[in-house]
This record gives sequence, C-alpha cells and structure tokens, in this order.
Amino acid sequence: MAWRSRLSYIGWRHLSIFSNPSPSNWTKVVSDAEKIVGYPTSFMSLRCLLSDELSNVAMHVRKLVGTKHPLLNTARGFVYDSRNNLQMRGLIVLLMSKAAGPCPSTSDPIHDSMVSGIYPSQRNLAEITELIHTAFLVHRGIVNLKEWTNSDGPLKDMQFGNKMAVLSGDFLLANACTGLAQLNDTKVVELISSAIGDVVQGIYHESSTSAEEGSLTVASWEDQTFLSHGALLAKSCQAAMKLARHGNESQNLAFQYGKHLALGHKLNSDLHTFVKSGSEPAVFSLDSAPVVFHRQIVGPERWRHQLKQVQNMARQIDYTKLRGLIKTERGVSQALDLCSYHGNKALEAMKCFPPSEARSALENMACAVTKF
Amino acid sequence: MSLEGTGKCHTVTLRRHAVMAAGKMAAPIEFAADLCIPRLFYISEMALFQQQHITWEDLPVPYRVVTGHVPLLVEELWRCRGADAGGAALERLCCWTGVAGSAEELSLTRLQQEEEQTVPPMRRRRRNRCVYTTPPVCCSICSDAKLKDPFSLAQKDLQNLYEEIKKLLVSKAELKVLCDYYFDGKGKAFRPMIVILMARACNVHSNKEGVLLPAQRSIAMISEMIHTASLVHDDVIDDSDTRRGKNTINKVWGERKAILAGDFILSAASMALARIGNNTVVSVLSQVIEDLVRGEFMQLGSKENENERFKHYLEKTFKKTASLIANSCKAVSILVNSDPEVHEIAYQYGRNVGIAFQLVDDILDFTSCANLLGKPSAADLKLGLATGPVLFACQQFPELHAMIMRRFSSDGDVDRAWQYVLKSDGVEQTNYLAQHYCQEAIRQISRLRPSTERDALIQLTELVLRRDK
Repeated sequence: MAWRSRLSYIGWRHLSIFSNPSPSNWTKVVSDAEKIVGYPTSFMSLRCLLSDELSNVAMHVRKLVGTKHPLLNTARGFVYDSRNNLQMRGLIVLLMSKAAGPCPSTSDPIHDSMVSGIYPSQRNLAEITELIHTAFLVHRGIVNLKEWTNSDGPLKDMQFGNKMAVLSGDFLLANACTGLAQLNDTKVVELISSAIGDVVQGIYHESSTSAEEGSLTVASWEDQTFLSHGALLAKSCQAAMKLARHGNESQNLAFQYGKHLALGHKLNSDLHTFVKSGSEPAVFSLDSAPVVFHRQIVGPERWRHQLKQVQNMARQIDYTKLRGLIKTERGVSQALDLCSYHGNKALEAMKCFPPSEARSALENMACAVTKF
Repeated sequence: MSLEGTGKCHTVTLRRHAVMAAGKMAAPIEFAADLCIPRLFYISEMALFQQQHITWEDLPVPYRVVTGHVPLLVEELWRCRGADAGGAALERLCCWTGVAGSAEELSLTRLQQEEEQTVPPMRRRRRNRCVYTTPPVCCSICSDAKLKDPFSLAQKDLQNLYEEIKKLLVSKAELKVLCDYYFDGKGKAFRPMIVILMARACNVHSNKEGVLLPAQRSIAMISEMIHTASLVHDDVIDDSDTRRGKNTINKVWGERKAILAGDFILSAASMALARIGNNTVVSVLSQVIEDLVRGEFMQLGSKENENERFKHYLEKTFKKTASLIANSCKAVSILVNSDPEVHEIAYQYGRNVGIAFQLVDDILDFTSCANLLGKPSAADLKLGLATGPVLFACQQFPELHAMIMRRFSSDGDVDRAWQYVLKSDGVEQTNYLAQHYCQEAIRQISRLRPSTERDALIQLTELVLRRDK
C-alpha cells in the first residue's frame, strides 16, 4: 500500500470511533477481555509446564541462573507477568471465536458443543497458538557460539543454555503439532503450519540485518514484521473461523483483524521508548520501526554519519543520544501514524461482526494499541 | 504343578503358557518376550525338568546376558504369574533370575552348539530366517539370484525425491540454502526406501497394483524431511562438526539459523502432510514428531538401576529412530488399506527394523573408522551416552557402572570404556539382539501377500545387519 495513503490517516490519530471511552491501559483491557472468555488465559502454566519434560528442563534451567543465556529471561517471563502479555494471542483467538458466534448450520455435529460461546476446538487452537508463539520466543534466544566472548561467561553455560532452549522449543512445537492433528481438520493444520513457516522466515531475517547495512525499507519492514509478528495471529484467527465453519468472508475479516492488531502492537512496542518522556536510558533495536523510518528519511549517508556521532571509541552506540537524534526527524511521527493506521484497520474489521461483549473487547484492544 | 509325563510334554505345556503370558504383556517389551521366551523356557526346562540345580553363576554368560533382559520383564512376568502351571513356572523364574551373578566367559558358539543338541526342531527353525510360513499365504523366498536389491527396486521412485523435497521448501535467499543443504542426494535415503517398498507391498497385498499412490510418495518425502529436521537440531544439541562428510549447518551458519532451518523444514513437512487430506495419517505422523523430542529428552537423564537402563535405552531407541519408520510404514498402509491388521504388520515391521537399524548404528560407533561414517566414532561415549554394547559390557565389567552414571565425563573415561567394550562381548550381544529384531520384522512382513517388494523388505533386514556405514 502506498505510503501516501497511509499519511491520510494522520487525522484519525486523535479520533475515537466509539462513544465509550476506550481505556488506554493495555493491561486493564486485557484483563477485562479475559473475563469475557471465562478464565485467565494462562493455558501454558498448567498442562505443558507440569509435563515431565519441561519439569526436567526447569530443573536444568535453574543451573543457568547467574549466566547470561537469554533462555533465562524467557523463562522468567513465564513466571512474572511481563508487559508483553505472553498470552495475548490465545486471548484474541478466543475473543474472535466468541465474537463470530456459533456455526451457521444447526445440523452440524459440533453445533451443540459450545461452552461459554466458544467451541472446544477453538479453545484448543488458542492454546496451540500460544504454544507456537512461546516455542519461538525460546528458539529466538539461542546464542551463536562463534560470537561468544569471555565476557559472556563460561562457554559451557552457553552451550548448555542452547541445548535447553532447543529441547524446550522443540517440545512445545511437537505438542502444537499433535494438538493440531487432534483438531481433525487438515485445512487448519495446513494453515497453521504455513504460519509456522512464516514466523521462521520473519525471525530468520531479524537475525540477518546488521546495524549499518540497512536495506530495510518501510515496505519491507512491514512485510517482515507481518511474517514474524502478524502471521501467526492472523492465520490463527482465520483458522478459528474455519473450525466453526464460518465462510470465507468471516475468515478474511478475522485474518485482517489479527494482522493489523499484531502490526499495531509491534509498532506500539517499538515506539514506547521514543514516546514516553522518561529519563531512563534508551534501549532499542536498530530494526525497530522509528529507526527504520528515520533511516529511510535521512538516507544512508546521513545515517552513517549520525551513527558515528553517537558511537564511542569502542564503536558502542549511545542509544540515548541516538534517540535524541531520531526524535529530531519525522521517523517517530511516521511510525505513530502507521500505528494508528493499523489500529483503525483492525477496528474496521471488527465492525462487520455482530455487536457483543467479545467484539467490544477486541475493539478496545485495537484502540489500546494506538495509545501510549 | 504336575511333573508327570515326559520332558517334552511339559515343554509344550510350558510353551503354551508362555505364549499366553506373552500375549498379556505390554507392547514396548514384547520384543523381549519374543526373544526371551524360548530361552526362558529352555532354561526353565533345564532347571525344573532335568532337575539340575543351576544357579545364576552356573549359567553361561550369553544366556545370562540374554536372560538379563528378563529382569526388565520381571515386573510384567510377575503380573502374569498365577495359579496355573505356566504362571507358577513364571513365578519361579522371576525369583530365580532375580539373582545376579559374577561374570563368566563363554563364547556364543557354545551356546549355539548346546542349542542344536537340545532344542527341539521347531524352535531351531525360528532362527532360520527362510522358513517363516504363515497359513494360508506361503512365504517362499527363492534363491538369492531372484531377489532384487531393495535399492534398485525403489530407485525409480526415489530418483526425484530430493528435488521434489526442495520444491516444498519455499523460502528466500540464505534460508533456502540451509534448508536444501542436506537434500543433496548424498544421504542414504534409507527411510524413504522402506516407506516406498512398504507402500508397494501393501498395495499388492490389497489387490491394487504395486504402483505408488501420490499420497504414499508424499509420505516418503515427509519422513525424510522430518528425519532431516531432527538431524539438524540434533547437531546443535550435540555440537557436532560434521555430518555426511560435510560441515554441519551450525558450524557454518551458527546455531540460531540452524535451529530456524530445522523448524522451517518441519513446518514444510507438516504442510505437505496436511495436504494429503487424511486426518488419521496426520495424527500418526504427528506422533513421530512428539516421539522424536521425547526421545531426545530421554537422553538427558541416566537411570541408576541397571535393569531400568536397558529398558530406557530401548525405549529411547524406539522414540528416536524406530518411531519414524514404524509410523511412516503405518501411514502408507492406511492410505491403501482399511484393515487394522495390515496397519499393524506395517507398523511392526517398521518398528523392528528401526530398532535393529539403531542397534547396528550403535555398534558401528565402536567398530568403524571415522572416515567411513562421515561422523566421528565413539561419538556416543563422548556425548555421555551408554548404548547397547556398553550396557552389555557393563555386565562383564562392573567398573563401567560408575562411568555410565557420570556419563563418561572424567578424564580417560571414554578411552577406558571403549577398551572395555571391545574386550567384552558387548558388540556381539548387541548384534545378536539386532538379529532378533530383524527376525521379528521378517516374521511380520511375511504375513503380507508375496511380492517382489515384500521380499525386498525381507532382504533389507539383511542389509541393515550387514552395513558398515
């Protein structure tokens, strides 16, 4: 989609489409939404984590305490509620299922199996989505041993951490696969498997782009971010519709919601450090949206110059300084506009569903991603 | 229990009870039942009917080693014990074999000689591969000349396998390179070959022509993809340098990308599987993915108890190697035949061949040179894994016990363990065990209607045992 048409949404940033004031607090929105689907959506905390294999891993991961292996942070995220709301995807799938209502044909065998407005297969799908998401959180944390230096701690620890990360990620993926098989719908299996492929492609190129050579344009940023952050949610929402035998139209709307919400959420996440006026030191990825957009605006030469300005003798980047530089240009505001754009596209998709608590919850989430 | 009648009469009675008891035993250990029941009752014959007071120490080592599996079964056998004659015999056996003894040197040939003398003809025939008859279908394996080499039989179907797999791996740039890396046609394609032959054998058995269905061909590709994906991950877990004569993906591109490539291959396999459109087949092969991971987890831990160790080893072997072959075979049979017995035949063939394959692999780790295999040997020891030969050797050299528990981590452990193994008959015993699995595989596959493919599958077990790489 042309950049120009996105700019036309600038005006929408401050417009609230709904009469009800939408809560800007993401956490509140999520916890309200959880009530609608019947229970806290911490599927992962019980069934999977209590399995022998993961208990085994947990025991081993304890040995990683004090090391610098990323798996430790991921594991912490399971225990403490992080800002990222690890269960978000599952929640959205459940809400979407509820918002779409029962399957159109009353003679279908699944018709009477609804519990709290959601079919068991849809609940299972929500759990599977979380399993896949978590598996990749874990696999993302694998460390390249060649890049190990003494400051990372003993090599043995990194190797061990890697081993645990591979095994636990694989375990989660395997459970997702058997879960998918039990849905008894090969089309859904195909869809979600393709989502897994998308996530891999997205993450793969995350690790490929390096700081200075930036070939990432805005359009390719969106494509890649869709792969790594949007595909799973979008396709899961679509699959949830399929499971309830909803038609192509509903499937497409659900897909669109998932896609735009995920992109909006990523943008929101990327923008936080640029928008919140705090005094804490900045830490952000050079692949995050505001930076990418900034790079496109200033061009490669000025960018290289700016990088040099903020690097010290050891070529380490002072991120706070860099943030300051970036804020002087329009990268941040473009990212903000794009965030609003996606939030509103998500809202649009929900408009076509019948009004319900679940639909409102999804709309609230779409609004919340545009707020800071 | 009545001791009347001749020794032969009681043998028959006891055997019948054994078969009944074996039928009650759980699947994972039925291999051992099949292996041990003849031995068990030979021994029990000696003990009970010849009224020799044979103690554990008197028992020749090969018997002891083979019967050593019995403690693994002891729980199960114990459950089968009962008031009747067979049950009582089992109970006595359980108690008796619970005694561990000191090592004694005895060669396998003496065991064979003794068997020739005392084993009734029927039992001897079990060991002769070529005389498996199952009514009403007669299995006649003709002279070797007529047997077609399994590789050449499957050749045409295998020809474009790797190219077609690569077509399924739709991705860009570097990721594509990584995914295609092991599909260069240099692998043995052992699994797809079995799958293809099994598919055709099942097709003939089911009154269809021996031509491969497209879905069956897909299964062959999928099985190779799942296998490769697991290899890629295993190389990261084991920090391996080389595979199939080239550097591993993790060494060339780093661990992170290697894991992602493995995940991608898996997702492509999963998509291909779904496209076949058969829910049962999807379930069957998804089980493999779970088994592969669980098998890997099983390798993390070591069992203290010697008896449990062997059981653990065989279960791990099933999960890591045999499950894929067994379930792929089952899947192709499902696609052409609705008879659950046919599925079971296919599954059991795959399972037994798979376990035998891995046992031979474990032997080769000790006996082959590094360059033949394309990966270094004593690799298992270096990873801290105690495989078949080591577990057998441990019975002769109890020093290995401590080394196994600490996973050969102390200096010099790997070398010393290797020496012990080569000095012991661990390799021989593992080979013997592999032979028995192959025999079971043959027994199963012989229940299918005759076809060149079926005979090729029988011949394949020979190849499994004889391979040197």
